Amino acid sequence: MNIEDFKLAYLLSCFCLALIILSPTLAMVIRLPRGEPFTEFWILGSGQMAEDYPFNVTTHEVYRVYLGVANHMSGLEYYKVFVKFRNQTEPLPDSVNGTPSPLYPVFEYRVFLRDGEVWEKEFLFSFDNVSFEGNFCRISNIIVDGYVLNVDKVAFWDEENKGFYFQIFFELWIYNATALDFQFHNRFVGFWLNMTVPI
Amino acid sequence: MKTYNVLEAFILATLLLAYFAHACFAASSADAEEALSNAEENLASAYVHVAEAERAGANISELLERLVYAGGLLAEAKNSYSTGDYEKAYSLAINCSSAVNNIALEASDLKLKGEEAYGEKLMFTAGISSVGLSVLFVLSLFAWRFLRRWYVKRVLEMKPIVEDKA
Repeated sequence: MNIEDFKLAYLLSCFCLALIILSPTLAMVIRLPRGEPFTEFWILGSGQMAEDYPFNVTTHEVYRVYLGVANHMSGLEYYKVFVKFRNQTEPLPDSVNGTPSPLYPVFEYRVFLRDGEVWEKEFLFSFDNVSFEGNFCRISNIIVDGYVLNVDKVAFWDEENKGFYFQIFFELWIYNATALDFQFHNRFVGFWLNMTVPI
Repeated sequence: MKTYNVLEAFILATLLLAYFAHACFAASSADAEEALSNAEENLASAYVHVAEAERAGANISELLERLVYAGGLLAEAKNSYSTGDYEKAYSLAINCSSAVNNIALEASDLKLKGEEAYGEKLMFTAGISSVGLSVLFVLSLFAWRFLRRWYVKRVLEMKPIVEDKA
């Protein structure tokens, strides 16, 4: 090794040491890009597992699922969860275009979560004023958390799947601080219900 | 007889007042709607300020608890409105607005404090780094002089080796 190479190696060592000394300041000033921000949204069955979702339901019985939201958006977020109820012919949200279902929400939750925080809520529901006439079933009320909500939905007998099918689904909305309004976060979860005649 | 009539009139007036007072002070659908709209705006504005404070590095735990509480009230108010219970919706919406009353101000205050604390921490860290760099610079000059001398001495002490070409 000649003197020039030796000098270069020495300068490089000094530069590395300088970077180590500067690293606490650089870490405060330079914001490294984070991963893709996202929000988790789920429903779990009565045992808080991804199983045992209510399916064959009847009037006056109370059913339970667990609803969850986890924030990975790298900051405090303000969410709104809409509970919607539909029959087989009514539209779901359009995940391709990111538009929500046009159905009116029957119930809602407001959630504030910091980055990394999780919100989980027991969702109890039952049905009231259910009538079966010929080949259709009409549900007038759904009871959520003690609120008697008027839904007035009709489902026709599904010959192929043998049942009167309804769906409860949840839409996640997020507050956009720039637009000063909520916008659909393009996340929704739901489960099918087959309304049966009480024995 | 006169006392009896006065008493009768008093009871009748009280009953009428009790009957109509509810109608006079009950919140209508429009009142509830306005209160809900105000609560919605107040809560959103409070959230925006708290989120800014959080980004500035402030401790927002206490404010967040209040936001969560107010959010619960607003959701209950909206759900009550959906069921047609306008009075409950109105009162919950008013409670929600009260719960977030000073949050925006407090959050702005916390944001300023957070920014100040960040600035102070940055100055302190930059100061330590500058001292470290200065020490490194001076020491590296001395070290270079020493290392160069050591290197030259090592080279001068080397003995030439003649390679055998055969």
